[in-house]
Amino acid sequence: MMHTQFFGNFLLNKGVVTPEQLIEVLKIQSTTHKKIGTLAIHAGYMSAHEVEDVCRLQMRCSKRFGELAVELSYLTQEQVDELLEMQLPNYMLLGQILIEKDILSRIQFEDILTEYKNTYEIYDLDLLDEQKEMVDKLLVSFCPEEGIENLKDILFYLKLLFNSLIRFIGEDFTPLKFITLPEVPTDYCVSQSLDGPFSFLSALDMDTEVAAAFASRYADKEFTEINKYVEASIGDFLNLHNGLFAVNMSNDFAVELHLQPPILHEGTTLDTDATAYLLPIIYSFGKINFVISIL
Amino acid sequence: MGNNKILICDDSILARHQLKDIAKKCGYTAFTEAANGQEAIEAYRLHQPALVFMDIVMPVKDGVEATREIRRFDPKAYIVVVSSVGTQTQLKNAILEGARDFVQKPFTYSAIAEILKGRFEGR
Repeated sequence: MMHTQFFGNFLLNKGVVTPEQLIEVLKIQSTTHKKIGTLAIHAGYMSAHEVEDVCRLQMRCSKRFGELAVELSYLTQEQVDELLEMQLPNYMLLGQILIEKDILSRIQFEDILTEYKNTYEIYDLDLLDEQKEMVDKLLVSFCPEEGIENLKDILFYLKLLFNSLIRFIGEDFTPLKFITLPEVPTDYCVSQSLDGPFSFLSALDMDTEVAAAFASRYADKEFTEINKYVEASIGDFLNLHNGLFAVNMSNDFAVELHLQPPILHEGTTLDTDATAYLLPIIYSFGKINFVISIL
Repeated sequence: MGNNKILICDDSILARHQLKDIAKKCGYTAFTEAANGQEAIEAYRLHQPALVFMDIVMPVKDGVEATREIRRFDPKAYIVVVSSVGTQTQLKNAILEGARDFVQKPFTYSAIAEILKGRFEGR
């Protein structure tokens, strides 16, 4: 589920792609089709070298990839059929586009993939399951260097945030790195405060075009411009997500948090008494900024 | 025909719209809307609906307070809480104030349909 998000971040941290390249690639991702060569590498049926061979041959004759791979005994017909049926995980699709754009060679991609898998032991994440140290490790790398209070709670909060984004908006996103800000200028922003033993302000800020796209996904309705429904969609998303967090904090730690109604801020400065942490998240429809400030 | 009026109280225009959509599909047509707890109390006094869907987190006056005041005005009021925050404490508070049922957000068609059925069919 979360592969693309983290794989994109991994590529950024390794300096393999620039943020601009990643944004470009993520935009293409939603419209790209899987390739059988990429699938074969993913399934471990072919090496990158073998895929290169077939691609080179393909340029000289007009045969299909599967056909040539069978002729060269790289694949059996059964494997080809199986690959054609297979769903390509999004992070593999990301790799495929990077290769097509000449940002990465196939060999480089294979190496990076191995490194990524070894580092994070990819598995499908059920984020409510507790034993996911890997994700914690990864999340820590997003966080600012200096110590944040309630780091554990924030990490848990972020896990849920990614979970909520996947559930209600879509999984085609990549979080960048946290930015620490003394104050937050807003574009089109909806905030929600939570009060209790652990009080904080959460907010989502984006430009109006992205806000309409975000709301369209959330409400499953097409919005082309800002209106009351767009505002409500972003507010509802925050409210659902924060509600989920409150339930978990109550169930697991007996911490009772009270949600305040969402508030819209347009082109103002977000009023935070404490340091604000801003996490840019790149979606294929644009960039959203998630803001959290511990009060 | 009995009273089939439904009061939908939620500060989100989207949530009200979605709830209304489901109720319409179930064959209900008489709705009143309120965007906060205070509006809900006033709308209840005015229309005396047979069923109230009540959000908890709202500006001006929250759903728990509104539930309390509506029940004080009409002890038979049939109020169902629809909220994203389903903590035990919150649930307990709402039930203590007289809420009949609770639906967790994001609500589904079947959850709402079941509430409507429970209230209006076989009454």
